[in-house]
Formats: sequence, structure tokens, C-alpha cells
Amino acid sequence: MRKIHLFAISLLVCAASFAQTRVSSSTFGMMEARWLGPGTMSGRITAIEGVNADGKTIYVGSAGGGVWKTTNAGASFTPIFDKYCQSIGSIAIDQQNPNVVYVGTGESNMRNSVSVGDGLYKSKDGGDNWTRIGLDSTEHIAKVIVDPKNSNTVYVAAPGPLWSDSKHRGLYKSADGGKTWEKILYINEKAGCADVALDPSNPSIVYATTWEFRRLPYLFNSGGQGSGVYKSLDGGKSWKELTSGLPPKPFGRVAFALAPSAPNNLLAIVESRETGLFISQDGGEHWKQQSAPANIVARPFYFSVIKVDPFDAKRVYRPAFNFGYSDDGGFSFSEASNDGGWLHSDHHALWINPKNTSQLYLGTDGGVYLSLDRGGTWLFLQNLPVGQFYHVAVDNLSPYRIYGGLQDNGTWTAPSSAPGGLSNGHWQAIYGGDGFWAQPDPADPDIAYAESQGGSAGRVNLKTLKTVNIQPQAGPGDEKLRWNWNTPLVTGMYNKGNLYIGAQYLYRSRDQGSNWTKISPDLTTNDKKKQEQENSGGLSADNTSAENHCTIFTIAESPLDENTIWVGTDDGNLQLTTNGGKDWTNLSANYAKTGIPAQTWISSIEPSLFDSNTVYITLDNHMYGDHKTYLAKSADKGRTWSRLSSPEFTGFAHKIKEDLVSKDLLFLGTEMGLFATVDGGNNWFRMKNHIPDYSLVRDIKIQPVTNDLVLATHGRGIIVVDDISPMRHLSQDIIEKPVYLFESNPIVLTSGKYGDAGFPGTGAWNGGNPPSVQSIEYYLKDRVSTEEMKIEIYDESGKLIKTVPATKRKGINKVYWDLRMAAPKIASGGSKADFAALVAPMVLPGPYTIKLKLGNAEYTQAIKLVHDSTNRHFTLKDRQVQYATAMELYHLHERLAGTVDDISGNQKILADNMGKVKGARARKLLEEYNGKLEALRGSLLATRQKSIFADEQRLRERISDVYLAVCTQEAPPSNLQLERVAVLKQEWQKADERNSLLKSQYEQKVKKELIKEGLIKENQSSLQSDKGN
Amino acid sequence: MKTRKMILLALLASVSIFSVRAQSLDEIIDKYLVALGGKDKLLALNTAVLEGAMSINGQNIQVKITQANNKAQRVDITFGGISGYIIQTRDSGWQYLPFQGQQKAEAMPEAVVKETADALDIQSPLLNYKEKGHTVELLGKEDVDGTECFKIKLVSKSGLEQTIFIDPSNYYIIKTTTKSKASGKEVVQSQTFSNYKKLDSGYIFPFSASGFGPGEVTFTKIEVNKSLDPALFKPTN
Repeated sequence: MRKIHLFAISLLVCAASFAQTRVSSSTFGMMEARWLGPGTMSGRITAIEGVNADGKTIYVGSAGGGVWKTTNAGASFTPIFDKYCQSIGSIAIDQQNPNVVYVGTGESNMRNSVSVGDGLYKSKDGGDNWTRIGLDSTEHIAKVIVDPKNSNTVYVAAPGPLWSDSKHRGLYKSADGGKTWEKILYINEKAGCADVALDPSNPSIVYATTWEFRRLPYLFNSGGQGSGVYKSLDGGKSWKELTSGLPPKPFGRVAFALAPSAPNNLLAIVESRETGLFISQDGGEHWKQQSAPANIVARPFYFSVIKVDPFDAKRVYRPAFNFGYSDDGGFSFSEASNDGGWLHSDHHALWINPKNTSQLYLGTDGGVYLSLDRGGTWLFLQNLPVGQFYHVAVDNLSPYRIYGGLQDNGTWTAPSSAPGGLSNGHWQAIYGGDGFWAQPDPADPDIAYAESQGGSAGRVNLKTLKTVNIQPQAGPGDEKLRWNWNTPLVTGMYNKGNLYIGAQYLYRSRDQGSNWTKISPDLTTNDKKKQEQENSGGLSADNTSAENHCTIFTIAESPLDENTIWVGTDDGNLQLTTNGGKDWTNLSANYAKTGIPAQTWISSIEPSLFDSNTVYITLDNHMYGDHKTYLAKSADKGRTWSRLSSPEFTGFAHKIKEDLVSKDLLFLGTEMGLFATVDGGNNWFRMKNHIPDYSLVRDIKIQPVTNDLVLATHGRGIIVVDDISPMRHLSQDIIEKPVYLFESNPIVLTSGKYGDAGFPGTGAWNGGNPPSVQSIEYYLKDRVSTEEMKIEIYDESGKLIKTVPATKRKGINKVYWDLRMAAPKIASGGSKADFAALVAPMVLPGPYTIKLKLGNAEYTQAIKLVHDSTNRHFTLKDRQVQYATAMELYHLHERLAGTVDDISGNQKILADNMGKVKGARARKLLEEYNGKLEALRGSLLATRQKSIFADEQRLRERISDVYLAVCTQEAPPSNLQLERVAVLKQEWQKADERNSLLKSQYEQKVKKELIKEGLIKENQSSLQSDKGN
Repeated sequence: MKTRKMILLALLASVSIFSVRAQSLDEIIDKYLVALGGKDKLLALNTAVLEGAMSINGQNIQVKITQANNKAQRVDITFGGISGYIIQTRDSGWQYLPFQGQQKAEAMPEAVVKETADALDIQSPLLNYKEKGHTVELLGKEDVDGTECFKIKLVSKSGLEQTIFIDPSNYYIIKTTTKSKASGKEVVQSQTFSNYKKLDSGYIFPFSASGFGPGEVTFTKIEVNKSLDPALFKPTN
């Protein structure tokens, strides 16, 4: 009895707690991130497939930026996979029903930094909606193909996991459009399937290549007995290995192609002890080696594509380090030229438009290129912001600048905003190689520090881009320095003059990297077994510093004490000094007590800004096949640790960031998403906010002045969430309120940060700008669906000066008032609209009141508007004169509108009665009066303009001319603008007098005639007072 | 014993909170139709005239929408004393927007007229969608401005693709996105709806909508089943 009772109560409590409003991403949904790109330097493209029937609908898959679709051959792209895993391995279109699209996640260019997938997805509506249809544990999918004659038959080549043994690899086949899968070619737990191709004339003939490969954090191997080339004649039921004429095993990766127009013609680049190009003309029964340039056969694990023109069996393409093509079936090759622009190296995807085979789309490590001459020359598509940043830094300029390094694309910098929006042209490359950490010098805005792979660091003069190499050298008695691929290069959090870099030792410089002090012993495990990188690569040597190990991977100086420095290594050591490097303590045994495995990479360390004993760390163990999200916190300087976890978390962890203002606001970046907590880590939610759900978030910064959250994503470039301050103030108390209008800081009167030169972008990527006026913010517990909602703004005297439409979304709403009053009534009619009717003077500084009206309820908040004292070209006095002048013109417009209304009103009565009057004299009188009124009206507003190219200026337009100028300028009116007001006033005065004169001349006479004809009553004083009768 | 029974009841009640049954497409559509006044009511909706304004910087642009179910629609826009219109019938379309000096009504491309003809159904394309020849599919739920909505995809007989988002708390449509291809390029447009109110005649309409132009349109007057002059749906210049 008692047991049931307690159970019931706990369930009820549980139910009640579910009823409590939870903070989630949608609570802050109005904070929409900007994607800054760059598009001028894009990222690795892994798959390109087009719809054969139209030649302009093309899907592009990227290494970490999802799938983008164009329906116009590349003029514009839309991301269509933003709710799913962003690492794309392969895309396939069912060409018989091209709305059916498959996406295999997890790219298969198995470099050290490759991400992982979570299965195969299918769309039946051209990418609008997706369903995951299995193969969830394959991690990497190299190729998906649909039988060209049977839409239900689909093959998937899955190399499988890179960092561990797995049964989830091999060639899979579905005979029911992806509902069920059968593994039809499986070698062992180490070798997967890297490629599959069908004979288009007889799709029962299937070719597949298998590949044995493995990475360890410190070694790569491509090659083994599990690699091979296979053929099936019965749709994959039975297989025969093709060997005749191929080199002796072991093989590594094989790039394979058949000529669609002559499907017995096959080409294979076989990685082996003597890697080479092999050609078969009998469907693989016999092969012959063909000599080939180094570019054609180099780096087979990374360059796995070879393709033949769909109709010309002799035309062979080899996207590789450079782009090679052959006109004789692969016997000889030429290379693309750089005429028309540099073609980025490292190629992974190629689509040939079968409707026009001169038109090729190429996926490189730096984006998509388009060729219109069969690959001879290339145009770069500048509208794909899929760059792969490792780290990001910001400075304190205004606008602040963003710095970051990209995979295979160097180091770049850009302002956070710019006139016209941040576009490609605002980005500048400042350092070469693969880019990683980059740091602005805190004191000298002309200097930044950047690096390429393996710690090759430089001090860069940002004006000239001249650099000084600052990488420390080994001292006497030091071991060979071991630099991580992604070597930490960090400035001090407490003493910003400190610059740190880590090999196995930690170095500190206090003179911009000119001279260094080694401030630690070897902080790694120094395990010699993990230091044999010269043997890396397998069959082909591949030792590019990507496998360097037992190195320092992260460095953090405490923001509260210069002498407290934390260091994390790639082999699991967490080291702390509290005396500036004299003594070091390895704390890894302490975090290990929470169940985090040894030798896990320490991916980030965040010493708290609020408490010197508190520190957060993220750890990444994916290189041992473990994808768990490791995040831990210590409140006693690393002695004891607790894990922070959440069912929301996905992906191995890269970065933990504590907010600069609220100690309970934390952000976590992982390989599969950005997460936030507003309660110190008890409850986490996935940040969506126009951020792809599974973004690869490698690094996070918060800009202290603008409160922007700046993300380095490894596949979607730099993403900025402008002003996260609403996340700091949302208490549980507010969340439970149906409506809450936030208090506002004083609002600066400005028409925005930038002007507009009038030339919008021409196809390149544009990341836009943050809103440059402050918003009015309120919280709604639920969306408002059945009530009217608006915001009214009142001045100090209680006069309503503007009504602004209110947004009604659930969570925080941000409404932007342009700080102007309601626009004037403008003379109506004529032959063109006067858009001055949409512009109003900006209000003056002072106290105002906001009323949020929701049905019958009203929520009030006082706000203060202040003059923009930073604008030295526009003083408060200037503003007052500007306002007074603008208001004179505003009233002049309204007076003119009154005169025109009066004229038009009289003309309407005349027109209405024109057909009714019988007497010739009466008609003539009406016509005469109307003619004079029309002549007057025609002098007051444009009545004859017939096109936008024939500008007609009358009094209304002349007033608007100066009204618009004065209203929108942040400057006092000029002498001539002021004089102009007086002139225009006189013009209106004259017109109004003319109207009165005409009235005195005609009105009584007209009235008399109309009374006589019985058309109006005798007792009305003017013509228009009859309007209602 | 009685206490025990009460506790068990409470237990059952609390458990039921967790077992929200997934709803079928037709159940959702039925509830949506009820929310709009009911099937019979909608089947009797022949015409609608909606009058309101779009507010831009505090200035009102008058909008009047006149609809004859499945036959025609006319939108009149008045700004600064100048009026323009957009007329669409099942086989023709006209646009006259003289705000910058346009002199004559311009015809809409025939393919566009054909593709959007099904949008003239003011009774709701979801009502008797099977008989109308539309394809409708429930695509689960999706977040729309913080509200987890039912997501329904409708491909109309004339080929227009529409995604409809219904708020499960009241079964009102809060957003639609429409994809058209007839102009030779793919164009996606979104509209949002709010301020649902019941008319004296029993019909429920959203009195605010956005996505039809700059800013939000708010209607002040909606009349249904008035007789309409067929001349309204012919261009006058």
C-alpha cells in the first residue's frame, strides 16, 4: 500500500515537473545566427550528383557542411540537410524518378580530421524531407548507387569505421528501395567496401573494390590482404576477385571506373607496393598496367575518383592533387590550366552533365568549380560557405575582427560586419598551409599570430602580410620537438601579453614570439611506441605531421592568475602549474576516476572566470573508436571531477566555453552540434538558432563588447549568433509568465551602422550584418494565435507616436523599431506613388513608454532614447535642428495633402455632377472650374508620369526631395536645405491661395447652378459638405 | 480501500499524461477543419472579401482581397491614393501595379496561372483532398518559431507543392510554404497566419498574415458569401 502511494506521488511529481516550462533552443529562437562563410574560400566537397534529365538540379555534399542543392546549375544553393549529420560521403539520385535522393553520411576521404556519419538517408521529394533508412553504424559511406533500370535496387559501399574494427562494413544491397538491407560482400572487420559500379547495359554485372585501412592517433595504414577488386555477374550473389594483370597483393585503396558507353572498358588506380594505373578492355578479366604521371597515381587513400565521359569512352577524368584528363582512354593525360583562376588542389568529386558533357562540376578541398570546356579551365562557385575552421579568435576593434584557420585553406580574417553585409571580398587570407589557431595581438592591431600544420607559426603584419617565423626550436638536451597537426598557439587570458605555444614542452613569449622561454618539462606520456610517424601511410608513405603524437594539444592560462596555467595533451595528460611553470602536476588520474578512459585527447580546458578553483574540460576519444561526449568539471582545481552529461549530447567534444557574464551559461561544441545550458550544466539543450543541428563545432568565443557568440565550425565556416545577452537574464520566474516585457538599456538613436552604396552582391556569399538598432524584447510562454498583438510607443506627454507590428513567436521575441515616428500624410493621387509617405523623422532623445498590447491585456515598460554621442559629425544640437527642419517639412507635406484633398474633393463633385447637369451654361461652368483645379493639381503633384524612367517633379516631389534628405541624414541641414524649406513653404502658400481664389470665383456660382438643377440642397455652405448626402 | 482506489486513479491519470497517441493524418485534418468552423460550414463557403492594411513604417497600405471559391481572386492594393490590382482566375491572370508609372495591366505567364489554379480553393485544399485529386502526406512534427507543429505536405492536382504547419494546441495553420516551378525556376515562399477570430457567420479566419508583401497584413473586416460582380475579375485597363 505504502509502496504504491509513494510511487503514485513520485509519478505525479514527475508529471508536474514535465509541466514546468523548459528552456530550449526555441526559447531563444529569435536569435538567428549569421553564416559568415567565407564563400571565397570554401571547404572540402565530397560528393556531387545532378539530375541527368535537366542538367541544372545538382546536389553537393561536403565534408562537414551537409548537402546543398541548386536548381539553377549553381547560380544559387540552398542547404537541405541541416537537421542531420553534416559529414557527407555519397549522394545518389534515382534517375528514373529524380525526386528520390539518397545521402550516405560519413565521408570516406580518410584523413586524420575526417568526421563520421550516422547512416543512410532517403528523400522522396528532392531533398525537402529526409528519413534515415539504416546502416547507422557504418560511420563512413563511400558510394551509393541506384540500379538505372530498377529503382528498388540500391547498393551502398561502406568502408566502415576508421578508428576501430567493425562488422559494419562491406557492400550492402537493398531490393526494396532501402527498406531492408543485405550485406552482399564482406571481407573482415578491418576491410570494408570502398567503391561499387554497375554495368549500365546489364546492371546484374557489379564491380566492387574492398579496402583494408586503419588509423591510430599516431599512425595511418592503407593496405592489406583485405583490399581487392571484385566482380559479380548475378547482382552480387556471387563474386569473383579480379587479379589477372593486376599487381601482387597487398592492395591499398583502388580508384575504379568503367566507361558507361563501352562498359567493358575499365580503369583502376591500384595502390600497392608499386601503385599504378591499370586498364582492362574485357570487363576486368585481364588488366594491363599503363604508365601514368605522378599526379594520376599519387595519394590513393585521399584521391579515389576516376571517371569516364558518359558517351565518349576515350575521355577519362582523374580528379586528384591536380585535375587530369585523357583523350585516349587513359593512355596519356593532360592537366587543367589555371587560366581564368587558380583551381584548388585535392579533388574528390566530379559530375559530368550528360546533357552537355563539356560542363563539369568538380569538388575540391576548397569548394566547387565549374568547367565549360571539359576540364581545361575552371570557374569557382563563390556561394558555398562550407569552410572547415579549426579555431577562431576575435579582437576588440569595432567592428571586431574574426581570425581563424581552415583545413587545407590557411588562415583568414574578416570584420564581423561591413557596409552591404559581410561578403567574400571582406575576407582576407593572412597565412598559408592548413590553418589552425590564429590570434590577434592584443596590443597591436597590425599584428596577428598564425600557423600551418605541425606548429609552423608566424607573426604576421596584417597590412603587408609579411611574416616572421616564430616557431620555437629545440634547445640543447631537448628531444626532437613534437608538434601536433593542430598545435595550440594561445594568448594569455590574464596577461594578454603572454603568447604560448606547445610542442611536448610548453613555451611562453612576452615579446610577440621573438624570443621564447621553455616553461615546462615534457608534459606528455612520451610513449615511444606512438612516435613512429615515419612509418605512417601503409603502402604509400603518408607523413604530413597529421599523425604527430605525444604532443600538447590545448593550453589555458587562468583568467584570474597569470601563474596558473593548464595544459592538455593528445595522450591524456592534464597538467597544471600554479607558479608560472616551475612545478607541474599531472591530474589525469583524477578525471579518470569519473570513468573517462586514459590516453583520451584533452580537447579544451576552460578555467572559470568567476572562481579560480573551477575548471571545465572536454575530452575526445574518437581516435580510439569511442564517440562519447566527455565533459567534466572540477571545483577544486582539478583534484576531483564530476561529469556533465545530457541525453541531448551527440558527438565527441571539442570545446567548452563559459559565458563572460553569467557563470551558469555554458556552451559545448561537439562533432555533432552546439549545446547550451543556462543552469550551470544541469539541463542542456541543442542550440538550433539557424545553426545546423549537427554542426561540427570546433571552437567557441564570446566577444565581450557585442556579446556575440562566435563559432568555428568544421564545415559551415564561421557562424555568429549576434548578442546572446537574452540568454543571461531568463530566470525560471520569467519563463513561467505568459508574457514578460524585458527592461531595456538606453537605446541609442541611430539609423544604423552602415549606409548602402546601392550595389547588391553578385552571386558571392554574403553573411549579412547584425541588426544595428537595439531591439524591444519580450517573452511569450506560448505563441499568440487568437489575439491581436502590437507595440505602441508613447512620448513623454503620453502621445502615441508609432505603432509597430509585434511578433508572436513562443520564447523571446525581438522587435525592431526604427526609432522614427509615424510617417506624414502625403498628398494622394497622381500618376506615381511618393515613397516619402513611408519615411518619418527620427524622434528626439528622451523618455518614452512602450506598451505591448495583446488582446485586452497591456504590458508597459519605460525606455530611454539617447543621442549617439559616438558620432562626432552629428551633435545633439545638430540633431535638434535636423528634427525641427524635418518636422517643418513633415507639416508642409501634411498641409499640401490638405490642399490636394480639398481640390480632389471638389473635382470629384464636379465630375459626379458633370453628367447630371442639363443646362449648357452650367456644364461649361463646371468644366471650367474643373479645368482650373486640374491645372492647379497638376502643379502640385506628378500627374503625367508614365514610367519610372520619366521623372516628373511637382511641389509634392520637390518637398519629398528635401524631406527625405533631411530625415535620413545624420547631419544638420545645410544652409541651402534650410533655405529650400522657406521656398517650398511659399510655393505651397501660393497654391493654397490659388485654391481659395478659385473657390471664391467659382464655388458660389457652381452651387447656384447645382441648386437650380436640384442636384444639391440650398443650405449647404460648401460643395464638399454635400458629400455625405 | 477507498484511498487506495483514489491513488490508483491518480496513478492512471498521471500515466495517461505520458501516453499521447500519435495522430493520423486524417484525424489531424478533421480537427483542423473543425477549428475552422467545420466541414459543412466550409463546404458552404463560396465567397470571401477581406479588407485590411499592411503597415509599413506606420503608414497603412490598404489591401482588399476578393475571392470566389475555385473561380477567381482579386487583390486590390491602395497606396498614396493610387490603386493597383492582381487578378487571377483558373485560366488567366493580370497584374496592374501603377505605383511607379505602369500604364496597363500585364498578363501572368500561362504556366504560372495553371500551376497556381488550385490555390483558388478557399474552402481549404485539405477539405476532401482525395476527391480533389491532391496528394497529402503527414511528415511528422517540426518546430515553427518555437511551436512544434504537425507538418503536412500537399501536392495539388495542378502540381503546386505546399507544406502546411498546424499548431497541435488549436489546430490552426500557422505557416505554409509554397514551392512553384512554373516560371522556369524554383521559387519558395512562406506565409504565416495568426490572430484567428470567429466571424458572426461562424467562420474562423486568421486576421493577420505575413509573407504576402512587405510587413504583416491585418484585416479589419471579413465578409463571406456575398454575391460578387464577375466584372471584378477582369482587368479594366
